[in-house]
Amino acid sequence: MIPLRKKALLLQLFAALLVLSGCGDEKILERLGFIHTAGYELVPAENSGEPDKLRVTIAVPKADPEGKIKRETMTAVVATSKEARIELSRQTELSLVSGQLRSTLFGAALARKGIGEHIDTFVRDPAISQRVKITVVNGNVQHLLNKRYAEHPRPGQYIDRMLDKEAEAMMIPNVTLYDFTRDYYDDGIDAVAPIIREKGKDITIDGIALFQGDRYVARIDPDDSLIFAILRQNFKRGEMSINLNSLGYGKEKLLFSSMVSSRKIKVNRGENGGLSVQIRMLVKGSVLEYVGDLKIGEEEDRHKLEKRIAEYLTSNAQKMIDAMQRHKADSIGIGKHVRNSMSYTEWKSTNWDELYPNIEVRCSTEVVIKNFGKFM
Amino acid sequence: MAKEKLYPFHVTILTYMTQTGVVMLSLPRILAENFGYNGWMALIGLSGIAALNIFIISLVYRLGKGKSIFQIMEMSLPKFVLYPLYSFIACIWAVTGCIVAKNYVSIFQMISFNTTHVMLLKIMVDILVYFLVIKGIYNISKALTSFYWVTSWMYLILFFYFKDFEWARMTPFFFSGETHFVEGSMSVFTSFIGYELSLLLFPYVEKGKKFMRAVQIGNLLTTLTYIIICFICFGFYSFEQLKLMVYPMLDLLSYIKLPFIERIDNLLFAFFLFTTVSTIAMYIWASQEIVKRMIPKAKVKVIVILIIMAVFFIAWIPDTIPEIGEWLQYLGYTDTVIAFGLPLMLIAILLVNKRARQ
Amino acid sequence: MALSKSEDNMDNMKPTLQHTLEEFKDCADILHRTLPETGIDMVFFEHLVGSDQFTRDVAIPFMDANGDDVKRLLNRSQYEEMNTNKPFIKAILEGAVAIFHNDRSYVVYVSKPEARSIQQSETEAIITGPHDSFNEVAEINMSLIRRRVKSSHLKSILLEVGEVTKTRVYVLYLDDLANMEYVNELQSRIEKIEIDSVLDGNMLVQYIDDFPNSIFPLIPTTERVDAAVSRLVAGRIIVVVDGSPSVISAPASFFEFFSSPDDYYQRWMLGTATRLLRFIAFIITVTFTAMYVSVTTFHYEMIPEDLLLTLTESRSRVPFPPIYEALLLEATIELLREAGARLPTKIGQTIGIVGGIVIGQAAVQAGLTSNILIIAVASSAIASFVIPSYVMSASIRLIRFGLIILASVLGNLGLMMGIVMVIIHLAGLTSLKASYLTPIAPMNVKDWRDVFIRSPFAWLKERPSMSKSPNMRRNKMKQ
Repeated sequence: MIPLRKKALLLQLFAALLVLSGCGDEKILERLGFIHTAGYELVPAENSGEPDKLRVTIAVPKADPEGKIKRETMTAVVATSKEARIELSRQTELSLVSGQLRSTLFGAALARKGIGEHIDTFVRDPAISQRVKITVVNGNVQHLLNKRYAEHPRPGQYIDRMLDKEAEAMMIPNVTLYDFTRDYYDDGIDAVAPIIREKGKDITIDGIALFQGDRYVARIDPDDSLIFAILRQNFKRGEMSINLNSLGYGKEKLLFSSMVSSRKIKVNRGENGGLSVQIRMLVKGSVLEYVGDLKIGEEEDRHKLEKRIAEYLTSNAQKMIDAMQRHKADSIGIGKHVRNSMSYTEWKSTNWDELYPNIEVRCSTEVVIKNFGKFM
Repeated sequence: MAKEKLYPFHVTILTYMTQTGVVMLSLPRILAENFGYNGWMALIGLSGIAALNIFIISLVYRLGKGKSIFQIMEMSLPKFVLYPLYSFIACIWAVTGCIVAKNYVSIFQMISFNTTHVMLLKIMVDILVYFLVIKGIYNISKALTSFYWVTSWMYLILFFYFKDFEWARMTPFFFSGETHFVEGSMSVFTSFIGYELSLLLFPYVEKGKKFMRAVQIGNLLTTLTYIIICFICFGFYSFEQLKLMVYPMLDLLSYIKLPFIERIDNLLFAFFLFTTVSTIAMYIWASQEIVKRMIPKAKVKVIVILIIMAVFFIAWIPDTIPEIGEWLQYLGYTDTVIAFGLPLMLIAILLVNKRARQ
Repeated sequence: MALSKSEDNMDNMKPTLQHTLEEFKDCADILHRTLPETGIDMVFFEHLVGSDQFTRDVAIPFMDANGDDVKRLLNRSQYEEMNTNKPFIKAILEGAVAIFHNDRSYVVYVSKPEARSIQQSETEAIITGPHDSFNEVAEINMSLIRRRVKSSHLKSILLEVGEVTKTRVYVLYLDDLANMEYVNELQSRIEKIEIDSVLDGNMLVQYIDDFPNSIFPLIPTTERVDAAVSRLVAGRIIVVVDGSPSVISAPASFFEFFSSPDDYYQRWMLGTATRLLRFIAFIITVTFTAMYVSVTTFHYEMIPEDLLLTLTESRSRVPFPPIYEALLLEATIELLREAGARLPTKIGQTIGIVGGIVIGQAAVQAGLTSNILIIAVASSAIASFVIPSYVMSASIRLIRFGLIILASVLGNLGLMMGIVMVIIHLAGLTSLKASYLTPIAPMNVKDWRDVFIRSPFAWLKERPSMSKSPNMRRNKMKQ
C-alpha cells in the first residue's frame, strides 16, 4: 500500500533537492568576509558646492592559519552608503556579509548631520542583528580602525568588548540598534550613544552623545556619565568617584561603589496648567575610599556625608538637565512620563519638542551609604 | 479494533495549530496600525467574536446531533445548489492553505534564500503537507500534537524580554492615534480563522459536549499566545517604531542571544514550519473532505495530489510579499464569511427540517 | 514429485517403519536399530538424542527385555503412542526416539538438546540488576520467565513458524492483564506468516510489523529476562522464538526504546536523569552534524563571535564544502563502528585507536576535516550509543544522514523539514495497531510519569495506557 508510491515520491523529493542544491544561496563559512565593524564618516568635498562624500571603513577579522594576519580593513569613499558595499567588495576575495556585524561607528560630523538613513538600512536588512552597537567616534574613524594597536590585534573586537564592559559598569549606556531605533521612534525620549576616541596607543571612552532625532546635538563628559546613568535608568551596579571640592567642602574625595540606583519621574500640574517635573533619585552604595575630615565610621558623620553626596549629585544632575533642555535633547525620557500623565488628545496637541526646554525640572537625591568597608 | 476518535485535547491542539501561523509575525504591527496605542487589547474583543462563531458552530453540532455537515446540507438542498457551493468552499480553503505556504516560504526566502526560487521551496512544503494529509485526520491530529510539543518550549523565549520591557512604553492611551477599527478588525480577525474547520470534524470526534469546549479552549490558547506576543511587542518597542516594522516578531526573535548560538532567530523561524505545515495541512484536508464528498469514488491520495497541484499553480500568481499579503487578506475575508455563513445556513436548514417533520 | 503428491494422505496414516525410513531416506545421520529378539525397531537422530541417556534408559532395558517386558515398558508414561504420521515425523525431528513394535509406534524423549549456558547479555548489559539473559532454546527461555512469574495467569500459546524450519514460537501473556485483542491480533499475524524459515526474533518482528517499510523498529526485542517480564506485567504480550535469544514484546511505543531496565534499579532521581539524558542524546544524535552543516553552509550569523574565527580557520584548510566533509567523517565513523562490532574485543580496541587517534588526528592535520566537525560527529556518535535499543540507535543514525543532506541543501529550513517529515512519519505509525507515539499522541499525561521521567514507585501504580489492560492498577491480579 504505502511503500511504492511513498518511495517514488521520496525520490522525487530528492531529485528536487538536488536541482536546488545547484543554487547560489550557500554562504560557506571560509568564503565569507564577516564585517565585524563598520565605520561611517563624512569627508568634506574638495570643491565647494559639491556634496560631502561618505567614507566607509570596515574591519574584517581574518582567520589566518599562520596567525600573522588578524584582520583586514577596507575603505571606500562613496556618495551613498549603498554604493559602499559594491565598492568594498571589489577590494577583497571574500564575499562580504553583514550577519556578524557587531558595531557601527559614526564620525561625529556625520552624526551631527544625522544618521537616520544608515539606521534605516540596518533595520531593513534581515541579516543585521538587533544587537549591533551604535557608537559615535570623536575623530577619524578610518584612522581609528586602521591603526595597529600593539596590544589589540583586532580593533573591532577591542572596541566591542570595551563598550560591553563599560556598559556593564554603567559608564556608558548600552546602545544597540534595538535601543537606538526604539528611542529614536519614541516620541517621549531621545536616543543616545557612547562616544569613543583614540588616545595614544589605546582607544578610550569619550562620553555620551545625546541625539535629537537622528542628529547628535550634545555630549556628556565621561566624568558625568554616571550621573547621566542615574537619571536615565535604574541600575544595580556602578561606581563613581566624587570630588566634593566643587561644593566647597574642602578637599574631600570619595569612591562610591556598588551603587544601586533607582529614579522616579513625577509630573506635576501647576494651577495654570503649566507642567513641572520632579525627578527623585535614590542611590545606595558603599564607600570604600574616602579622603576627607569626616569619620565615616560614625553614624552622624556618615549621614553628613550622605547629604553631601546627595547635594553633589543633585546639583550635577540639575546642571545636566539644564544642558539637555538647552539642546532640546530629552535623553532621559521625561517625555514618556509627561505623555503618560496626559490624555491622548492633550499629548497630540502639545509639541513636546517645543515644550521640553521650557518646563521646570527639579531633581532631588537621597543617598544611602550601605557600608563602608571593614575598617572604621 | 474500533476506529479511533479524536480526543478533546487533540481537537484543542488542532484548532490552535490551524489558527496560529506566520500571521503572528506581523500581528503586532497590524494591531498598532489599526488600533493605535495598546492595540493588543483589541485581540480580546476579536477573540470574543471568534468564540461567538464557535458557539454558532456548536449549535449546529447540537441541533444536528453530530451529523456531518454534508448530511445536513444534503437533507434539503438539491445537488445543483450544493455542488457549486461545495466547490467554492473547497477552492477557498485549498487556496488559503497554499497562500499561507507561499507566505511562509517567501519570508524565509527574504531571510536566507534570496536567489532560490520561491516555488521550489514551496514544493518542499507541499510534499510535507501531502504526506501529512493522506494519513487521515486521526494521524494528522497525532502529528499536530507532536508538533505542538516540539514548539511549545518556545514560550520560554518570552523571558528574554523582561529586561528591556518597559511599562512606560505601553502608554495610558487606549485605541488612540490613527485608527481604522473596521478595516483593522477584519484583517486582525483573519488571524483567528481556522476554527471553522471544526465543522468538518463532527464525524470524527467522540460524541458529547467536550468537543466544542475543546475548540473554544483551542481558540483561547491562540488568543493567549497572540496577546502575550503582542503585549510584549507593545512594551518592548516604541509605538511609532512598531508601526514601521513589517515583522515585529521576527525582530523580536533576532534580539535573542544565547552563549552558544548567536542570532537564534534563524532557527526559531524555521520552527514556524511546524505551525505553518499544520495550518496548510488542515485546510488542504478540509478541501479534500469536500471533494471526496462530491466524488466519493476518488481515492484520497489522488484528490490530495490534484488539489495540491492545482493550488500550486494558483500560488504562482502572487509574486511579491505585499501581493501575497493582499491575497491572504481577501482570502481571510472570504474565510470569515464562510466561517459565519456556513454554520448559520446549516442552522437554518436544520430548523426548517425540524419544523417540516413536525 | 511423488512424495509431495502422496504427502496429504500419508500425513494422516498410521506411522510405519517403512514409511519413516522412506521419509528420512537420504539423511546420513538417521540411525535405525533393530532388536530382533523383541521385534523392536528404533529410529532416531543420534546427535539429537543424548547417547548416554539413550543407552541407559532405552537401549539396555529393551535389550534385556522379553516379550512381556516390552509391553510393560511401552506402557510407561514417557512412551507416547502415535497414530498419525505427521506428528510422529515431527517428534523424530525434535529429538525423540521412534520405537516400532507390532504395528504400533511410540516416541520417547530421552534428552534435552544442547544449549549455550545462561550468560549475561552482551548487547544489553546493565550495571545493577539481574545478569541472566535468554539463550537460544525456547524452553529454557520459557523456564526463565516462568521462574520469575509464578502465576497461573501466565498463559502461553504454542505456534509454529517457518514452513521448513518449523520453529516453535510461544506467545505469552498474563490473563486478565493483557488485552485479548492484542493477543489475538498477534497470534493471527504469526499464523499468517508464510516463509520457509524464521531464524531470529528480530526477523519474526519484521514479518508481524504493522509497517515493514518504516525505518523505525515498531516492536522491541530484548535479551533480558527482567525486561521481558516487566513488559509482561505491564500488560504487554511477549513472544519467545526458539533458536533466538531475542524475545519480542508488543505493542510498544517509540519512547519505550529509550528506557532500560536499570532505570528501575536505581533511585528514581538517577533513573529520571539517565532517561532525560537519553532523550537529549537522541536530539544530539539527530541534529548535531546537521546543524554544523547548516550553520557552516548557510547560517554563518548563528556562530558566536568567539567561535567564529576558530571555526573559519579550521574550515579554511578544508578543500571541500561542509556537506562532503561531514558525510566523509560520518561514513568513517560508521565504518569504524561496523568494523568494531564484527571484530573480537581485542582487535576492536585497535580499531578504536586507529579510528580515534590516527584518523581523527590525521584528518584534521591533513586538512580533510575541521576539528569542530570531529567534535560534532564524535559527540553525536557517542550520543547514539546511549540509546539502549540497538535497533533504534541504528535507525536514528540512518535518519541523521537524511537530515545532513537536507541541511546542506536548505540549511535550517531543510533540517526542520526533515524533522517535520520524521514526525509525520512517526505519527502515522502503529505498533500492533496501537499508536506508536503514545503517550504524546494520543495524549496521556499520566503515562509521562514513566516515559520521560522515572517517577518514584509510589506514583507508578497504574499500567501504561498503551496496554489497554482490563486491569489498570498494578496490584493483585483480581481487583
